[in-house]
Amino acid sequence: MVIEFLGIPRERAGVSELEFEAATLGEALGELSVRCPGLSELITPEGLHPSLAANLNGNAFVKSLDTRLVAGDRLLILSADAGG
Amino acid sequence: MPPGYHGCYLRIDVSTGSADRVPLDEDALRRYIGGTGLGARLLLGSDLDFFHRPASGKNQDLTPDPLSPAVPLIFAFSPLVGSPLTTSAKFAVVGLSPLTGRFNDSLASSGFAIAGKQAGCDAILIVGKAPALSVLVIDDGRVRLEPADDVAGESCPATEEKLRARLGAGFRIASIGPAGERVVRYATISHDGRHAGRGGSGAVLGSRNVKAVAVRGTQRVEWAHPRELVALSRDLSQRSFGPATAKYRELGTAANLLTFNRFGTLPTRNFQQGTFEEAPNLSPEQLRSAYARTRASCAACTIGCEHIYAFGGSEVRLEYENLFALGSLCGVGDHAAVLRASQRCDELGIDTISAGGTIAFAMECVERGLLDESWLRFGSGDAVLKAIDLIGRREGIGDLLAEGSRRAAETIGQGSIAFAPQVKGLEIPGYEPRGLQTMALGFAVGARGADHNRSGAYDVDFSDKVDRRNATLDSVRHAIDSEDRAALMDSLILCKFLRRVLEDFYGESAAMLAAVTGWDVTADELRETAKRIVATKHQVNLLAGWTPAEDTLPDRFFDSPLPNDPQASLSRERLQELVAEYHRQRTRGAE
Repeated sequence: MVIEFLGIPRERAGVSELEFEAATLGEALGELSVRCPGLSELITPEGLHPSLAANLNGNAFVKSLDTRLVAGDRLLILSADAGG
Repeated sequence: MPPGYHGCYLRIDVSTGSADRVPLDEDALRRYIGGTGLGARLLLGSDLDFFHRPASGKNQDLTPDPLSPAVPLIFAFSPLVGSPLTTSAKFAVVGLSPLTGRFNDSLASSGFAIAGKQAGCDAILIVGKAPALSVLVIDDGRVRLEPADDVAGESCPATEEKLRARLGAGFRIASIGPAGERVVRYATISHDGRHAGRGGSGAVLGSRNVKAVAVRGTQRVEWAHPRELVALSRDLSQRSFGPATAKYRELGTAANLLTFNRFGTLPTRNFQQGTFEEAPNLSPEQLRSAYARTRASCAACTIGCEHIYAFGGSEVRLEYENLFALGSLCGVGDHAAVLRASQRCDELGIDTISAGGTIAFAMECVERGLLDESWLRFGSGDAVLKAIDLIGRREGIGDLLAEGSRRAAETIGQGSIAFAPQVKGLEIPGYEPRGLQTMALGFAVGARGADHNRSGAYDVDFSDKVDRRNATLDSVRHAIDSEDRAALMDSLILCKFLRRVLEDFYGESAAMLAAVTGWDVTADELRETAKRIVATKHQVNLLAGWTPAEDTLPDRFFDSPLPNDPQASLSRERLQELVAEYHRQRTRGAE
């Protein structure tokens, strides 16, 4: 699995992508807050800060921490305010 | 008259230099607020005879003729201008667009808004045509015309500098560049490096022989509840420093480029593709590594979204729309070329989106053998620069391209209208409609044409509320909500980059307006006000000849799926359904 960072998350993470393993979105975000301290203030027990969004494989945007992840998934973390 | 307002607008006939102070009643102000709303109200309330006069000359295809001296051009301020509310230093320019023949409202920022309001009016309405190229000077409510010989042909920045030196401190200048003087149909009105960009307001001023409007004044308005207003302002400013605006502060709108590219929604080569292989060259990260960068803000703004790059001994403000329109849309991945092209558009006073869209359209015509300009090829930064210069001078092919992609297509013929990237004549901004289908609806139904500022429907496409590649009837209410919010923000006037800072949009807006005006305005009232303003824009369009057939997209978006994203497919029938549902809900909302 890969987490791709776009926009502010990329700035905070300092990298464009990371390999990871997680069964759910909640697990992935938990791992992310540890591995990328720059993002930790934007990850809460309830999920991502409203200024960020999560997308699975360039398809659906996901919020529920129970969202299942499978091998090969690419989780995109991006600025929620995508336009402007 | 309520606090926050002067209670009048200046009606100026530049044919004679005469000016009248026309009262505004409180009911109209409460129903339309200011900015776009007030401008739309004034446009509809003016002598509507111009809607029925036959067009003449080059404009015979447009009735009414936006370039006719009888059609008003309105600079509209708002009750929040001059207040401590962050991002409130904005003004709207309202009229009919020479590109579309339809309602046009373009916004710009900074000191002109404050000075214009301090000149003693809530709006400036201009009719007529000056006998020679002139500067319209409004000094604390006193109006005069001065010759503009010394700034004829000058760039927007040079014009402002010279006029401030001539007129004196305290004046703020909104001007047109050489493109406006030559009535390029997407010429801008510029102030302090920012542009009331879309729809050709600069061409309108140019057609009236007005090179610049200079304003200065000492007349401040009162606020109904100043302590409350200051408290609201402090709170809003504080929140504006938070994560909701981090993207704008740290990266600028250029951050959109790689995001859109990743999602396959970065318009490339005249919307032939949704990804650009050279996108990383245009990313903010690449720009930062190549050029020194500073940040700037409009007056009275705490966000500071402007990212300015040191380039060629000068400075260039760069936004996402410039990067897309002069970059990926034309197949150009050379950031130096894109910076130079942006700079040139700023100097000439040209809308970068319409310039890029029209040039990209021409490039595809060349590619297809429909246009004999072999130098005008996708991928050539030099070609983009040459085209911009020709457009600015209306020379050679530039004279045709200065008319915009729709008119160029109508002249070129041979089916090229199918891929002219416009709606109602206004070139499409950097959002691929097939991959952002709520935005596609927003483009199709927009009063001024394809517009990402009058509809922020892309916001919902980048969320879990809809499937961005499969819009359903449920998408319609989101598109309507987005339009309503934009209309209210453009009338209050506040910057849309505050949208995620305002947690209770209508409630907080009501509180701010109440603190300034003393009105017992509620969130529900503002919801109705927003709908009224959108409806007024459509009313103007009806009078201007709008037909339902205009609410669509070019054939390309129905007939050609994106090559790398087969799921991003939009049928003509689906869009028609969405448009019909939009109008049904709008009509039902008005009953």
